[in-house]
Amino acid sequence: MNAQNLIAGIREKYPEALLASTQPNPFRLFLTVDRENIQDVADYIFNTAKARLILSAATDKSPINNTYEVTYVFSLDRDNLIVALKEVVPPSDPRVPSLTNIIPGADWHEREMRDLMGIVPEGHPDPRRLVVSDDWPEDVFPLRKDVPYNFRPPRVTVVKPPMRDPKEHEKQATILNIGPFFPTLEEPAYFRLYVEGEQIVGSDYRGFFAHRGIEKLTETVLEYNQVPFIAERICGICGFVHSATYCMAVEQAADIEIPPRAKYIRSIMLELERVHSHLLWLGLAAHYLGFDTVLMQAWRIREPVMWLTEQITGNRKTYGMNLVGGVRRDIDAETADKILKTLAKIEEETKELVSAAVEDNSLKMRLEKVGMLSKEDARKICVVGPTARASGVAIDARQDRPYLAYPDLDFKIAVQEGCDIWARTLVRAEETFTAIALIRQMIAKMPAGELMAEVGPIPPWREGIAAVEAPRGECCHYVITGPDNRPYRWRVRASTYPQLQSIPKMLDNMSIADFPIIVGSIDPCFSCTERVITVDTQSKKVRTYTHQELLAMSQRNSGQGRRS
Amino acid sequence: MTHVVIGVFNILLVLIAAPLVDGILRKVRARIHSRQGPPVFQTYYDIAKLMVKEDQGGTNGFLFNAAPVVCLASILMAGLFVPMGGVVPLGFAGDMLVLIYILTIAPVCMCLGGMASGSPYAYVGVNREIMLLMVVEPVVAVTFIVTAVKAHSLMLANCIERYVSSPPDISMIIGAIAFFLVLQPEVGKVPFDIAEAEQEIMEGPLIEYSGRKLALLKWSLYSKQIVLVALLVGTFFPWPRTGSLALDIALTLVKILIGTVLVEVVAQVFARLKINQAIRYFAIVIAVAVTGLVLAVMGL
Repeated sequence: MNAQNLIAGIREKYPEALLASTQPNPFRLFLTVDRENIQDVADYIFNTAKARLILSAATDKSPINNTYEVTYVFSLDRDNLIVALKEVVPPSDPRVPSLTNIIPGADWHEREMRDLMGIVPEGHPDPRRLVVSDDWPEDVFPLRKDVPYNFRPPRVTVVKPPMRDPKEHEKQATILNIGPFFPTLEEPAYFRLYVEGEQIVGSDYRGFFAHRGIEKLTETVLEYNQVPFIAERICGICGFVHSATYCMAVEQAADIEIPPRAKYIRSIMLELERVHSHLLWLGLAAHYLGFDTVLMQAWRIREPVMWLTEQITGNRKTYGMNLVGGVRRDIDAETADKILKTLAKIEEETKELVSAAVEDNSLKMRLEKVGMLSKEDARKICVVGPTARASGVAIDARQDRPYLAYPDLDFKIAVQEGCDIWARTLVRAEETFTAIALIRQMIAKMPAGELMAEVGPIPPWREGIAAVEAPRGECCHYVITGPDNRPYRWRVRASTYPQLQSIPKMLDNMSIADFPIIVGSIDPCFSCTERVITVDTQSKKVRTYTHQELLAMSQRNSGQGRRS
Repeated sequence: MTHVVIGVFNILLVLIAAPLVDGILRKVRARIHSRQGPPVFQTYYDIAKLMVKEDQGGTNGFLFNAAPVVCLASILMAGLFVPMGGVVPLGFAGDMLVLIYILTIAPVCMCLGGMASGSPYAYVGVNREIMLLMVVEPVVAVTFIVTAVKAHSLMLANCIERYVSSPPDISMIIGAIAFFLVLQPEVGKVPFDIAEAEQEIMEGPLIEYSGRKLALLKWSLYSKQIVLVALLVGTFFPWPRTGSLALDIALTLVKILIGTVLVEVVAQVFARLKINQAIRYFAIVIAVAVTGLVLAVMGL
């Protein structure tokens, strides 16, 4: 369905709904609707036009026109069209109708909107706190423009994680707390599992322990060309994806066309990142199953990619390559040659490893029919990347919305119908080889020329939405340009954001033994800071600390007054 | 006199040499992983480190405190029944049955200690351990009965004497295979380290242990490995008998090393199974072992 048909369809069904529509280019469509009609229109876009929710953002525009703006961004993957659906909310009455009952994938987006902007999604089935920490005051919404970036809330001594009450069938079950620190989850995340024997009958999640307020920092302190360096620090594995996506969003908003060579270099780096990320995942997944031989071999094979990136950029990770308008370093002929040689070796070794792993019965026994996510659920929760493609949802930003060098390249995306972890493994294995083939094509076709475009002042109040296929799935950034040489609003939707919402579905009726690999199967990327642990108070026999005791201990050990 | 000397030797082997064997296995594992691996004596350093580390206490119940000691003691005791160079230090009529019982003490201790710790992870681990015990221990018992039936004796030394002077029997080979297959769960190695499963339940029953008690439990796992492999090679691969006791003992040691390395290699080429998959697997192993027993009764 193209833009005209979509508008016509909405006009026909809901004649009064559309207030405005603009189409700055053939790939973007901005629609404005009233709060009262947004559910109808969203339902039409999601269920009739079969679009996918990729992002939502709430923006405080009160300093300019005394409104809040809520934007839901949909993607019509087959038509290379991104539709932004906007509603305007008066700050005096910050309520919007929730879309979660129509689009299950909107769940976290709306909870985040409530936490950070104080816009209440009415009718949300699960309006618990999601992003801000447990001790954050109820009435401070950090992304509102009147909250300073360095605001520190008063110290609170009694807080409770916002876990839900057990459902009827979970009341008899034992509670198994996994996290906030758990050896197999490399990052802090708290899963509360309700188990009967070995079987998981329910699960609950509390994350965002490492929310760092990067978006707020960007809107208040940093400038356009400083943001790529902090964007890169969002993730330790696919950092380049974030800086590239941010730059692409700004370039799109400001109509900057970057030089072809820069496009190729960015794409090569993106694919190199995919190669090492997928090998890293394969190793970790095997490790979750106690198969450390595969872990060690996969990481050994992966290591030369890190050496390559070090040669290209000076760093193994966090490359500092991207700026708005292009890239900072070239790939010369000698390096290109080395990339090809290294990749040849990696390809050969990965083939051996993958064929050994695929033929291994014990791996198959652990991965088949485990962590099932049906095609239907995958679409509803709007999962992306290998998780979606393994459930038969054939989406890949590189193919659906070719960006950078991808329009010139010839490749096929990997899709599996198995819906289980085995399928996710096969998808990632195939993608590793595709990535290597893509890098070869790019090096062969690489155009000569500049690395940076001329970038003039970036006009304010433009919007850019960029989506890049990260190793974990599509990563989306939304930028509204601002007047003081910095984004007015920058929203990052990393690929794990939708995937994590699918975890409860995958865990249902699986066993405790499956837990690490199920969570691992989405290749989760939480983030990387620390927080005080809470201890199980459910089981009577455990030595139990009260929250106050724990807090007192942590305060004693870390030194009073650090925060006050 | 020989029996006393061998007895002391066995105890020393099971206690002092076990960490060395583990160190060698760590090297083997590292080679399979394309790693360099820690020094061969690393396991001694680890145990020494745990010995001087602060004991976090855990629950401090009697069971919790006693379990590690009894666990290691039971393994040492089992060491007295292990044939070394064809000699069983503490042999008496019916020693085989006693041995089967003693061998179950260690996992039971692990379970009791785990239960006493009260951690939900330990409960899950103990559950799994008990389920595994139910399917693994019968295999051990049946394979011993196969040897007993063949030798018409419940005394381990007699069985070995009988077997060393005769060619391999089909029932004994089946028994040996079945016994080898239960080594992985018995010593807690992949694919059957289900009860400990570090990535799933953080070492299950061991989770609350620390310091000296943890050292004892770890040590008993290393020792148990030697005891079981020594039993396997002593009972099912007694050849060749050279006539010189010293040479026989040296040969036994080589066989033990080969056996443990085999177990380690198996552990490195599989993923961990789930408990229900493991039980299904061992049901088959039990059937195999019982087939061996039937053949033995038929005189094969």
